[in-house]
Amino acid sequence: MELSQRERLSELVEDLTTSGQQELNQDKIKELKKICKMSSDCIDHVYHTVMSQLNQEHSEIRLSAFQIASELFSRSHHFRTLLLDNFQDFLELTVETDSEQPLPPPKEIAKKLRSLALRTVQSWQTCYGTEYKKLALGYHFLKQVKKVDFQDAESRTIAQRRMEEERQRRMERILKGRMEAASKDMEEKYQEIKATLTEMESCMRLLLPDFGITNQIINSSPSTQTASNAYPSDDEQPRYSEDVKDDRKERRKQQKAETCQEDKKSCLKKNNSQDVSVKMKQELYEEEGVCEKRKDGNEKEEEGEGKLNNGQDPLNKNSEEDKEEDNVSLHGDLFIRNSGLISHSYSLDLNLSPGFHVKETEDNEAVISTVIDIHRLITYKHLPAVQGWVQIFIKAGAEQQLLRRALDLKKSLEAALQKHRELHIDYKTRVRKVMKASLQKREDYDDEDDDDDDEDDSDFDEVPEKEGYEPHVPEHLRAEYGLDPSPSTSAGSIPRKRSAAPPPQSSCSSFSSRQLKRLKEEEQDPTSAAATLHLLGVQTAQTSSSGPSSEQKPVDAPVVPFGLDLYYWGQEQPNAGKVIKATSQHQFWVPAEVDEEVENDNLLAESRSRYISFPGRFTPVNHFCRAPLGEGKLCQRQDRRKCPFHGSIVPRDQDGRPCREEDRLREEEEKRRKAEEQLDWRDAELMRDIEAETGEDLGSGRVAKKGKGKKKKYPNLSDLKQSDNTSRSRLEKKVFNKSAMRRVAEVMSKADRRKHDKFSNQFNYALK
Amino acid sequence: MLGFLTARQTGLDEPLRLRRAESTRRVLGLKLNPDRDLERIHGNGINTIDIEAIEGRYLLSGGADGVIVIYDLENYSGQQQYTCKAVCTVGRSSRYVHKFSVETVQWYPYDTGMFVSSSFDKTMKVWDTETLKPAEVFEFDGNVYSHHLSPIARKHSLIAVGTKNPKIQLCDMKSGSRIHVLQGHRAEVLSVQWSPRYEHILATASADSKVKVWDVRRASGSLFTLDQHNGDKSKASSEAVNTAHNGRVNGLSFTGDGLFLLTTGTDDRMRLWNSATGENTLVNYGKVCNESRKRLQFTVSHGCSPEFVFVPCGSSVAVYALHTGELVTMLRGHYNNVDCCEFHPDYQELYSGGKDCNILAWVPVLRAPDLEEETTCTIKSAAGQTAVNPAFQDAWSSDED
Repeated sequence: MELSQRERLSELVEDLTTSGQQELNQDKIKELKKICKMSSDCIDHVYHTVMSQLNQEHSEIRLSAFQIASELFSRSHHFRTLLLDNFQDFLELTVETDSEQPLPPPKEIAKKLRSLALRTVQSWQTCYGTEYKKLALGYHFLKQVKKVDFQDAESRTIAQRRMEEERQRRMERILKGRMEAASKDMEEKYQEIKATLTEMESCMRLLLPDFGITNQIINSSPSTQTASNAYPSDDEQPRYSEDVKDDRKERRKQQKAETCQEDKKSCLKKNNSQDVSVKMKQELYEEEGVCEKRKDGNEKEEEGEGKLNNGQDPLNKNSEEDKEEDNVSLHGDLFIRNSGLISHSYSLDLNLSPGFHVKETEDNEAVISTVIDIHRLITYKHLPAVQGWVQIFIKAGAEQQLLRRALDLKKSLEAALQKHRELHIDYKTRVRKVMKASLQKREDYDDEDDDDDDEDDSDFDEVPEKEGYEPHVPEHLRAEYGLDPSPSTSAGSIPRKRSAAPPPQSSCSSFSSRQLKRLKEEEQDPTSAAATLHLLGVQTAQTSSSGPSSEQKPVDAPVVPFGLDLYYWGQEQPNAGKVIKATSQHQFWVPAEVDEEVENDNLLAESRSRYISFPGRFTPVNHFCRAPLGEGKLCQRQDRRKCPFHGSIVPRDQDGRPCREEDRLREEEEKRRKAEEQLDWRDAELMRDIEAETGEDLGSGRVAKKGKGKKKKYPNLSDLKQSDNTSRSRLEKKVFNKSAMRRVAEVMSKADRRKHDKFSNQFNYALK
Repeated sequence: MLGFLTARQTGLDEPLRLRRAESTRRVLGLKLNPDRDLERIHGNGINTIDIEAIEGRYLLSGGADGVIVIYDLENYSGQQQYTCKAVCTVGRSSRYVHKFSVETVQWYPYDTGMFVSSSFDKTMKVWDTETLKPAEVFEFDGNVYSHHLSPIARKHSLIAVGTKNPKIQLCDMKSGSRIHVLQGHRAEVLSVQWSPRYEHILATASADSKVKVWDVRRASGSLFTLDQHNGDKSKASSEAVNTAHNGRVNGLSFTGDGLFLLTTGTDDRMRLWNSATGENTLVNYGKVCNESRKRLQFTVSHGCSPEFVFVPCGSSVAVYALHTGELVTMLRGHYNNVDCCEFHPDYQELYSGGKDCNILAWVPVLRAPDLEEETTCTIKSAAGQTAVNPAFQDAWSSDED
């Protein structure tokens, strides 16, 4: 056989096997067959190359090699004898007869190779089985010993089938165990979940009772009749006049019965920002507290505004209307008594809004916080657990009863959650309330202490009430302190800034005379805060007026630190630069002559001079280095004159080439020098090793391109070494990093050594 | 061949010389023969085979599933293609069948009417071939690895039995009882073999890596223990004194004349010993793969001028020259480990059984017809060959041109 043929054959086989294709290239295989036809030497050669390719640890190579072999097997007797001589190995490499030698990755290709090989062996057996003993033996071996079912689509061996069965059995066992655990778990938790659900249910009922119950409440409580009225705004101001206009008659009746209820009602309405048709039980009892608080506020406001407003005292007005009503509706008395309605023509409109909105108030806070807790418990604990059970039961095929129970549980939990969602509980107010509560006075704390919400309370320390002067008064608390409500910075800033602007003189024009009066009264009282503040205000006014020169100062005069020169500004320094030497402290011994005072020119000069450093103005750097980097990018460093990597910064064009000719020349020169230098110490092999070890690009590819990777050699084959980008591999890369391992080992050995150093003379440590 | 024949005709050579030359040639030409087949009876691995010495016609095989089969090797059909029939079978359905794997089967050396089998079910059975019923059952307290009947014994009818127990049992077929125990080994006895030269000499191989040679007339102990270092203490570490191998010794075979003893061990070595002195002849056979935990049945050719050893070696049978240690060839045909092989001295055929349930017959290739012969019937043979074996023809399709 000629050498050229030999080479051509090797080339062809290699090309065919490393193509990565699942079908052979027809032209190439034709050429191969053509050469093989010439002599049996060629077939010998092809046989050996094919066998060596079959031994490669890559299923794609093996598949292609097998296809070549089967092409030749059907054609050449010589090839058949050669192949059958080594049929055991051939089967091992293609059909995986030896479980110790599994087919190499990639898996899908291996599977394909296996089934193809089995099919081919069967067809060979039918064609040549009688003539070639070893083929028949091999076929029987596969059939009898390996129990390969050639009819089976997957052509699995008995071992594989058994393995699969075992896996299935194991899975079943695991599932069963899990199911048992889950059912036990459910048994344990069932009561707990039920209790939680009941709790949730009762909380819900507290927040939002059933409609039937509310009707009763409406009927039983006179105050709720007014609830049908709409009060869309959440105004702080009481609108008695509007109230009266809207439902004069009912109100009259109520006022007759109980005038003090009036306040409560209005407050109640204010609380319900939207048209709440359905009253909550909660609010009924919460009214008490809210109303009382409101009353306080109202009184204050009334005090403040009484004279500014028209002075429409609601009580007065109501009493007038009472009289009117008495005259008009004497005849309807009976009807009212019977029906509770004022007139026959009266119609009651109930506006039922589609969505409920529960707003948190101080009084339902406890309930709502419980609801929040339960909600959290359900969403984060119970519901996932129940869902897990359901999944396990479905997977393991549990009994119907168990599954139904779990499903019921899940349904009721979800229903509870749904109900909670529909309530639209407003949590934000709650947070704000807590904040506010912390700022409020101690009484508020006491109130809150009654609540269950302990955890919120514990976060805030009790602060004793302050007496006397307080330099900072928050804006919203000024009224509470009886201070000027308009913001004035003077009170806070006086003690700190002497040169600040003079305090505005009672700039508030809207200061009502009443309040002024009250302030004055308070100022008479030396114990009050107002008195202290007043006193301070007078003082500051004096100090600011005593420095008229500061007002004449130019605005842009530089501010310099205070120094000796300023201390003696415009004065003769009496003893500047003189150093007084201390006389000897000795009891008897005294030096002969003592210069008590020494003039020091340096000191003198110092006391009269002042250093003013002039650093210049900072101008930000706007240019970039723009030297070309390896990856086609430009250097983005913004140095003023010199880039630490690319030398002094010169003007460059878009591609990073220097604009000036001499710069370009210099750069080229440098590059050449660098290239020469690199060869000395940068060993490409070593660097590649290091790169492979560390996984960082050190630039070995740039240094030398001598070595060609295997990947490049056969680009068509799928890459086996390609590491899977799994979380595990990523973690492995980090954890088993060499430097990390070394670091850990170092730390541990250090710890060990320290212990040894410390306790080495104690026998029980010394032994370790 | 012609030279041998003329030399024989003129009386220059002894008759033995021609015979030896021819049988050597035949042994060297052993090949897996497509014409000779044995019926597939065993559904499991074959542990042991034995060919009877009287006619050389019947082959006994014992399988890992307890089945024992007797094959008729003789081809009376007159055709080249022949499948050896199973004459009779002790199958799983028989009530006398061994419960577990049959480890050793052996014909009674003087008559095919009787054979002996031993098994992992802790019994050894002496069978009547006609009725296929055990005439005698010996029970032991451990797995029976091996037993052997002396092929030449006239004065005794002892069966040496190697079991899991380190003591070697001697069972007398005359009385049907265990009459004697040989003590000396420290681990299970994997193989026992009577000398084909002296009827009272017995060799035993054990898992304690020792091989002992006994004279059963002497009750006190073994004659000697084979030492791989030939008593050279400096080479042997203290625990390796008097060991034949550095692992379990699981194969034992005398040469046909009984002058030499061959042993194989799990240290992948085969050693040839002088059976008279116990001296290691230091023949280097190279690596002989051997992973078997049980007895390995190997055989030595008979009647060739350089003798050959056939040793199972993985999934093939290795053929070594006995005295030079040269690997002659590897007989590859089994698809799984080979456990036993037996040489047919009359036809120079080799039978081997393995875990792939096959018993393969390795038959010498027929001498190619001589040139003169061919000229007379060239056309006929050529035509006949194409007619007979179309499968051997190349089938290049025309589109390759």
